[in-house]
Amino acid sequence: MTRDRALKRAADIDRRTHLEIGARAFPSPRKMFSAIRAYLLRRSDDIKTRNNPIQLLKFAESNGVASIVLGPGIDKGPTPHDFHFDSGARLSFALILRERDGGSQLVEFRYHYQLPDQLPASPSPGYFRFDLNRSPHTDPLSEPRCHLHPGLEDVRLPISLHDPFEILDRIFFVLEKAV
Amino acid sequence: MPDFSSQPFVEVARRLEVQGAHSWLAVLSPLSDPTAACDALSTELESFLQTPVRVVPLRGSSFERLREQLHQPEHDAVILFASGDLEAGEWSSLDSMRSALERRGPVVLWMAPDAVGRLTEFAPNIRSFIGSSIFLAGPEPGIMTDKERESRLEELRQHYQLSDQEIVRRAEAKELPPEPHFVEWLVLVGRGDLV
Repeated sequence: MTRDRALKRAADIDRRTHLEIGARAFPSPRKMFSAIRAYLLRRSDDIKTRNNPIQLLKFAESNGVASIVLGPGIDKGPTPHDFHFDSGARLSFALILRERDGGSQLVEFRYHYQLPDQLPASPSPGYFRFDLNRSPHTDPLSEPRCHLHPGLEDVRLPISLHDPFEILDRIFFVLEKAV
Repeated sequence: MPDFSSQPFVEVARRLEVQGAHSWLAVLSPLSDPTAACDALSTELESFLQTPVRVVPLRGSSFERLREQLHQPEHDAVILFASGDLEAGEWSSLDSMRSALERRGPVVLWMAPDAVGRLTEFAPNIRSFIGSSIFLAGPEPGIMTDKERESRLEELRQHYQLSDQEIVRRAEAKELPPEPHFVEWLVLVGRGDLV
């Protein structure tokens, strides 16, 4: 009974996320691509580690759905395609937008912030990943639609819906500052 | 025409920022779809400079009207759109009002490549504002190439041990798992219609 209630509460969170996605409008995918690149260029200028967001950030689209990506889709270790931080951490992400009324709407995202390599016994979570799934899971308690992986692949903690820049803000100005 | 370097619009925006207040430069429009390219430049300037951008056509604009447009306001970015048919007299008129064109915000003179000769001959003062900052509109960087698409697809195929055909089949049957990766997969195989 208790788990049933927990599931119902989790489903309510997903419903709110769904409504919020519908209510949020973003500029067109091309404008978002340009704005994210500008954001990353600014952040690159703030740090010592050299990155070239003009080369790193990629855009693809098909039938009104656009993908804005940086770095590999699956983190398997550092690559020249990641965004590298002074701490030794690295970032990769994929953002999917759907064109709508001259602007766009969020479909899904995945922002993977990999902490610097640690000793095997380190208590470090290893990584943080911010995910927005494109649709609700049948078990919203285990897999909320918008969630954070705190370094454990099977642990997904619900988070409020963040826009693509708000997540980058947390990574650049909160996580990276704390490493 | 001298050889001008080709620069993507994001680099044009960065150069304007480096030049600081009162900066001028010229971008030579591509031959195909110059209006869409001008829109893309406007987007890039707005994103990078974090300022509103206005496109002001030179053709048919009076002295008073142009001065007003450049100074009210005068801190935003302005793209002066010189259409390909701007004639010698119009370039000369523009040159005669050069003092009125000076403003705090950046100015990009957008013109056809073959207009550089007329600019130099009939608007030498405007040409001096621009100096050596004349660039050909370069291709947009970051558009995923076929090779990059294939590389990402291969990464997904190996990770999930699934084929593109199977992903499309599952999407058509509405059986795709909800987590990220699968929508990107559909975009990469050109099936955004299934999202």
